[in-house]
Amino acid sequence: MNANILLGLSPLLIVAVGALVLMVVEALSRFRDERLESPSASLAVSSSVVLFASAIAAAGVWFYGPENLPEVSSLAPWLLLDRFSLFFFVILTLGGALSCLLAGGYLPEHKLDRGEFYPLLLLSTVGAMTLAAAGDMLTIFLGLEAMSLGVYTMVAFRRGSPRSIEAALKYFLLGSFAAALLLYGGALLYGATGHTDLSGIGSQLANTGLRLVKSDSEVPSDMLLIAYDNAVPLVMVGLVLILVGLAFKVSAVPFHMWTPDAYEGAPTPATTYMAVVVKAAAFALMLRVLLIAFADAKTASWGTGWPPVVAGLAVATMTVANVIAVRQESVKRMLAYSSIAHAGTLLIAVVAATKATQQAEASMIYYLLAYTVSTAGAFGTLILCGSRGAEAVSYEDLAGLGRRHPAIAFAFSLFLLSLAGVPPLAGFFGKFYLFRVAIDNGFTMLAVLGLLNSVIAAYYYLRVLVVMYMKEPEPGAPIAVPMRSGYVAAALLISAVLVVLLGLLPNGTLEAAILAAG
Amino acid sequence: MESLLSLFPNPEDNFPLIAVILGLPLMGALINGIFGKRLGPEGVRTMALSAVGGSFLASLAAFLLLYARVQQASASLSEGAAVPHVKFVWNAWRWLALETTSIDVVFAIDSLSATMMLVVTGVGGLIHLYSTGYMAGDPSYHRFFAYLNLFIFSMLVLILGDNLPILFVGWEGVGLCSYLLIGFWFEADKNASAGKKAFITNRIGDFGLLFAMAMILHTTGSLSWAGIEARAPELFNELQIWPIGVAPSWLPAFLTSPVVVNYATLIGLALFLGCAGKSAQIPLYVWLPDAMAGPTPVSALIHAATMVTAGVYLVARMSFVFVLSPTAMMVVAGVGAFTALFAATIGLVQHDIKKVLAYSTVSQLGFMFMGVGVGAFASGMFHVVTHAFFKACLFLGAGSVIHAMHARIHDTDASQDMRNMGGLRKYMPKTYWTYMAATAAIIGLPLTAGFFSKDDILFRAFVNRIQPSGLLKDLAIRNAVQKAGAPLSDEAREAVVQGLHIPEWFSTAVFVVGVTAAILTAFYMLRTVFLTFFGDFRGWRIVPGWKNDDHDHDHHASHAHDEPIDGPVPHESPWAMWVPLVVLAFFALFAGWVNAGPFHLTAFSHWLEPSMQSGLKMVTTIKQGDELTHLEHLLLIPGVLAFLIGSGAAYWVYYVKKGEPARQAAQSAGGLYRLVLDKWRIDELYEATVLGAFHSLAETAALFDKWVIDGVLARLTTIVIQSFGSLFRAFQTGRVQMYAAVMVVGLFATGAYLLTAHGEVVVTKDEAGGMYIVEAAPGLGYKYRWDRDGDGVWDNPQLEQDETWTLLQKVQVQVPPGQETKVRVEVQNAFKMTKIREIVLRRPLPDKSRPDPVGMNVPIEVMP
Repeated sequence: MNANILLGLSPLLIVAVGALVLMVVEALSRFRDERLESPSASLAVSSSVVLFASAIAAAGVWFYGPENLPEVSSLAPWLLLDRFSLFFFVILTLGGALSCLLAGGYLPEHKLDRGEFYPLLLLSTVGAMTLAAAGDMLTIFLGLEAMSLGVYTMVAFRRGSPRSIEAALKYFLLGSFAAALLLYGGALLYGATGHTDLSGIGSQLANTGLRLVKSDSEVPSDMLLIAYDNAVPLVMVGLVLILVGLAFKVSAVPFHMWTPDAYEGAPTPATTYMAVVVKAAAFALMLRVLLIAFADAKTASWGTGWPPVVAGLAVATMTVANVIAVRQESVKRMLAYSSIAHAGTLLIAVVAATKATQQAEASMIYYLLAYTVSTAGAFGTLILCGSRGAEAVSYEDLAGLGRRHPAIAFAFSLFLLSLAGVPPLAGFFGKFYLFRVAIDNGFTMLAVLGLLNSVIAAYYYLRVLVVMYMKEPEPGAPIAVPMRSGYVAAALLISAVLVVLLGLLPNGTLEAAILAAG
Repeated sequence: MESLLSLFPNPEDNFPLIAVILGLPLMGALINGIFGKRLGPEGVRTMALSAVGGSFLASLAAFLLLYARVQQASASLSEGAAVPHVKFVWNAWRWLALETTSIDVVFAIDSLSATMMLVVTGVGGLIHLYSTGYMAGDPSYHRFFAYLNLFIFSMLVLILGDNLPILFVGWEGVGLCSYLLIGFWFEADKNASAGKKAFITNRIGDFGLLFAMAMILHTTGSLSWAGIEARAPELFNELQIWPIGVAPSWLPAFLTSPVVVNYATLIGLALFLGCAGKSAQIPLYVWLPDAMAGPTPVSALIHAATMVTAGVYLVARMSFVFVLSPTAMMVVAGVGAFTALFAATIGLVQHDIKKVLAYSTVSQLGFMFMGVGVGAFASGMFHVVTHAFFKACLFLGAGSVIHAMHARIHDTDASQDMRNMGGLRKYMPKTYWTYMAATAAIIGLPLTAGFFSKDDILFRAFVNRIQPSGLLKDLAIRNAVQKAGAPLSDEAREAVVQGLHIPEWFSTAVFVVGVTAAILTAFYMLRTVFLTFFGDFRGWRIVPGWKNDDHDHDHHASHAHDEPIDGPVPHESPWAMWVPLVVLAFFALFAGWVNAGPFHLTAFSHWLEPSMQSGLKMVTTIKQGDELTHLEHLLLIPGVLAFLIGSGAAYWVYYVKKGEPARQAAQSAGGLYRLVLDKWRIDELYEATVLGAFHSLAETAALFDKWVIDGVLARLTTIVIQSFGSLFRAFQTGRVQMYAAVMVVGLFATGAYLLTAHGEVVVTKDEAGGMYIVEAAPGLGYKYRWDRDGDGVWDNPQLEQDETWTLLQKVQVQVPPGQETKVRVEVQNAFKMTKIREIVLRRPLPDKSRPDPVGMNVPIEVMP
């Protein structure tokens, strides 16, 4: 253990140590008098500072060059501290920090002001970062559980509300189910290949299959007699289990059903965290597992392997999520379905990655970054739109917002237009690059279905704009009263700047993403 | 200058001063737009003026620096060598990288854009100053200046952008500002609808520009000026535009006979459609007169001096594309000449002073297009510059008059009606003299700026010829040979080359139309002078010391014609308004000397030359040397005569006879007069034809929408989506058991797919050997057995059946022409699941009707 290893691990360590310190500080402090000080005021800032510091550390390592830290390779295969991990560290900590800031406004407003939310969020982020960097089934499981446990608790954070508890319980039960599948799949793979590390599994699979058992000079050389490798059935069953586990984590249809309930029942900052950080970490995991362990020509074959399954999941996810989202009356639930639909779009790139790994991964990374800032912004404006007793939930709550609070309505429009993929905002280039990779590699049908789904999605995103700008609230109907919070405003400002910048200057980020994918 | 040079050691590669030039107006717009209300009028004024003033100073510095660099570069040249194209570049960032090309946000200053930049910031600055007086007291003062600064920024983006997409951003930006400023007083419906008209008309032009951009990217693979220029000869390739695709054989032959154009013509015409929209040329000019609904400084800045000349700028900028197509050049020059004449006729009879100036602008823009259309790019640009001075001065002078009229007449139309003016010479001497100076320039009083620029255009229209270069001739002959499919005779070659020339009569026609338009110009401009400044004041009865004590303005305004009302002595405008007038009038009189052709002063043309080198290469004149000079002096005569005839007639009609002949003429030619007064009823024509067709289309579409879309499709889609939604939601019960059950179903479905065998097969043909390659998808644990000869028995029959499995994933099959072979493959996966696939490879006989040297382009039909 030398200094270079510490340097390489610094993004992770900063968050982990920060979480522990904040936990101790929070426990020792007494916030008896709420008029004087609320835990959120100091904790939201300090935990987002911790997360931004981690992002800066990750950026520092990026610019220093992970290849200049040869010692970190001794952590492989458990932790792969390559540019891929570093880029994901930035996405994850950015999403975490935005959620922290949103919580800083939301929790006091809704009388949920208990300090443990922030250490939970930080520790969960450590899990997410571990997951993004993991190269071994064991660290994957470790990271997955560390991330999920924190999130289960955050969902249940509104202790008094049965819906919150119910959401957490559902998420916990089904999440355990999925984790068990993933674990079982890993066990089967270990049995079949003797490896728990992804690259070991991958290289073993490339040699697995059918073995020549008898050579006979009587018959042509391509007709040598063969016998099964007993490992193959194990590998295939393991692949099925792992695929389902991954599909649950990215909430692909039909493994998505927990998502709307959990997203709606959770306090909105926790929803943001799930939609942004958990989803990004799950996609990092999916890319690692499928493209390292199952990348050989046979398992990644279009005819017989996992790509058709993922393509089917992508189409089902986009279509079902968008169709249901159209029918939602709650904006929060609509955003939940929207996040499912975006996962479907991202799955298209996973399929394309079998042909052009670097381009497809880069487009996914870019898409995830754009999606992170747009989604965090959209949930953030939804938080800002409401206050205690007058939370903005349904479309009707937003009627006339454009006239009453033009700045908030403008910010909301910006994020929704970015999610809908309107140029020149971040979401447009995310979609542009992703669909282009799909088309370039012959997955035209998937790209067409993706575009059609974008049209459906535009309907429900624009519906919010219509309600905000062209409808007035019914007389006597309760209207959402925006809250005032510097934290939420700061989070929105950061997101808005990034949404516009990623749209106006997409190229630098894309080049970095290509570097990360390479 | 030395210190400037040392500040930017390498301006050709990196010239960040452009950021200052662009940044200041943008900053001004943002600050005034966001904080304007809090800043107060004083702060808004300071902000707006310092933003545009600073931008002007920076532009001036950049201009001087560029001038110094050009001098340096040409000093070391040998005699007669072309001056290099010096260009200062600021590469802001890379916006989009594609495999084939990349779009950079990059700005550049060369002689062409530097000239436009000075005009925009200089004239723009003066008009800003004027507006501080004109708009004083307006409740939306800050909004006005925010828009005005934003306009300057957009216009600079348009001019300085080094590629088409950036130009397009500016192009749309100025369009947006124009829309916002025309409708600035949006409380009145008329203004708002004028704004909409401008917006919609410009969309038609923008379609042309976008189309041209797509075609340029398609043919040259680049969108930057240098990139397009380098590969401009590619544009000479031909494109079949009709029939699209393969024509059905039952159509009569004359409908399917191919129509072929070369890309240069198509792109040139599409670009010109964009220019015609922005620069108000026939047929898209109709928005500009209505645009006068905006505040007068806006008319001066956007709708006279700068934005509307963007089209001329674009033609000059893309000169290397236009000269490739004689058709496009003829259209540009022809439309320009016709617009110049047509708009001038309407200008003859309008009563609204701003309307006259608006039609005059359309007419003058026609002159500019006439210039660039005959290959006199520098002359066209020179007219852009002089026109910016004198027309801005005229508009601002008219604004000053309207400002004075507003002392008593508050109705917009009445205050701009020349029938209410007269005799203002006495009361507004500064306005009068500056207006006179600008009028002298526009009507071509010898030695004024307008005289030199207009006569240069007329002269060039007469003498210029587009001379296709050798390369172009070769390309044209190549195209003709390709079309004929056989070598051409010498006469045929000659005819092809002749086809590249513009016919002789065309130059003469353009010249004659131009001179006629010049006569009309002199007449209608002096008409405004005599009606406004001479004679007796007709607006109200002047009562010295009169104080405005009633506020019921509209009541009085509506009776303005019936019973004269009392009013104060018309007053001269404040200094902020007349100082810009004086500066502009000075330039209107004397700016011509930078390019006084008849006196052999051609600094301006030489200055612009490097920016248009490759375009100018293909332009020649009918005479050279001394003979050309002689001809130039000779051709001054028609120009001067036009001035004399037009202004003499106006003097006689409106000064000597006090307008009596005009009234008589109007009565005797009543129908024609009314037709011209109603602007040839072009708006009504568009209403009836284009809009009529559009309306009936809309009606049909509405019916279709109601019955087919709403009735069938929408209801059907709604029912489908809703039933799916209900179906999906039925599972979304909220019960976690149900969720887990669905997950298990998903798990089994995934498992079932991955555990069954899939016999996916891809067939490819081996071009060289006439072989079909059949490839089964690889799979983990898969094994295969084949039946290549279609005899129903797996290959290698000597083996036992369950020993015929192989790892052979790909087989080759030879099929003789006209026959078919059945190939079977059976796959088995690790779970002993099997799947048999059977494919029929059918090789048709070669299609003799088509030339087919290899014999392999017959389609392969794969029967599953």
